[in-house]
Amino acid sequence: MLLDPRHAWMRQLAAFAVLLSVWEAAGHTDILNPLYVPNPSRIGAALVDLFSNGRIWPHLDATFTAALGGLALGIAVGILLGVVAALVRFIAELLEPVMTLLNAIPRVILAPLFVIWLGIGLASKVALSFILVAVLIFFTVFTGIRQVDRRLVERVVTLGGDRWSLVRHVYLPSVAAWVLGNLKIAVGFAFTGACVGEFVAATRGLGYLLSFAQSTYNAALMFALILLILVVVLLIFGVAGRVEKYLLRWS
Amino acid sequence: MSLAVGDGRFVSLVGPSGSGKSSLLRAVIGLQQPLSGTVGTDLVRSQLGILFQDDALLPWKTARDNVALGLSFNGVERSKALAEAEAWLERLDLAGFGDRFPRHLSGGQRKRVALAQVLALKPKLILMDEPFASLDAIVGARIVRDVVALVERQGISVLLVTHDLEEALSLSDEVYLLSQGPRAHITQHYSVPIPRPRDPVHSRAHPVFAPLYERLWADLSREVDRRAEAA
Repeated sequence: MLLDPRHAWMRQLAAFAVLLSVWEAAGHTDILNPLYVPNPSRIGAALVDLFSNGRIWPHLDATFTAALGGLALGIAVGILLGVVAALVRFIAELLEPVMTLLNAIPRVILAPLFVIWLGIGLASKVALSFILVAVLIFFTVFTGIRQVDRRLVERVVTLGGDRWSLVRHVYLPSVAAWVLGNLKIAVGFAFTGACVGEFVAATRGLGYLLSFAQSTYNAALMFALILLILVVVLLIFGVAGRVEKYLLRWS
Repeated sequence: MSLAVGDGRFVSLVGPSGSGKSSLLRAVIGLQQPLSGTVGTDLVRSQLGILFQDDALLPWKTARDNVALGLSFNGVERSKALAEAEAWLERLDLAGFGDRFPRHLSGGQRKRVALAQVLALKPKLILMDEPFASLDAIVGARIVRDVVALVERQGISVLLVTHDLEEALSLSDEVYLLSQGPRAHITQHYSVPIPRPRDPVHSRAHPVFAPLYERLWADLSREVDRRAEAA
């Protein structure tokens, strides 16, 4: 049988449908315990329930606000520190060890500390997202600027460009390219930060709902939430991918 | 070491590798400090154009923006700079390619954009460091022909660094031979009395070409041998 690569998605979809049917069927026998692995139909019902009574919105809102806030702040501060460290030797000497340390540890261990400092509200989640993203972006920019193509710098100088021209036409576009290249990873980090922050202590958010589902042994709700987070992050990946593709259309 | 490039003259500098040909050019531009002594020209920076082996176009700018860049550095207003850039692209057979990014141009086209970038600044002297070495034979030959025609017409002086003796002789009015480095110096000077306007391909068939080539080849070989003896 010839498998047309263009129709791969059909085969993938068929395989997925088979998997779901087997899963569903197994749930109606004794093979799978619905307490731990609920049927797809029950997961679907839980998902519909979350949206139909509208109680999901404040949670989605909380997680999005924390993740996107942390992402924006993390990118801004990461770029700023990265640029300054790359240009000023003294700052680099101070910052690099700290950043290397922060990069080496799993930064989510800071979550309880942020709760003590900033309370169980939005601020501690933004802070965790921020620290995850900022360190990533700092290293992207810091190492990136040191690796700027010397030939481009020389070219701009020989064409009569001054320091500001170099920043504007060589360094900034290079920095933008590196940051965009890491945008998807940063988005993933931002949502990790927001959800983990909500696990630790919160009154709202997808992470909070997950922890609530855990304490009530509600596996169907858990699966529904995991699915929801998956879709949310994929959607944002899609947007980030579009932005990246447009802005890096020269590469 | 003193080296004169008269107005509108095409001068080449050839020599064994390691004689510091490229370093000399970089010192003239100010990209590199000479180990000792000073390097000076009677031209200001904006009258100097530079063409290196790599075209080093900014990858995130279109061909037109790349050409306009130098103009805007020198105070030309943006809309005027873009129009002028377009005119230079057309002059270099790149009409319709202005919106392309360097990645979407061939090696020869990129070289032409780099050339437009230099010529747009109306330099009095262009310093070239093996600018045609990386190109295919035919593509390179056509660009060389266009470069020669343009500098002849505009009366631009050229100082070309190359290891290709044929290229040096077919393009130049004068050729300088550098000795083996370190402490390289000018050992020979040749005049190339092939009339202008020149076609770089046909000038190889000129009667003075072959004898000059023989002489240059012999002198260069002697320099290389001297190095081998010293070692």
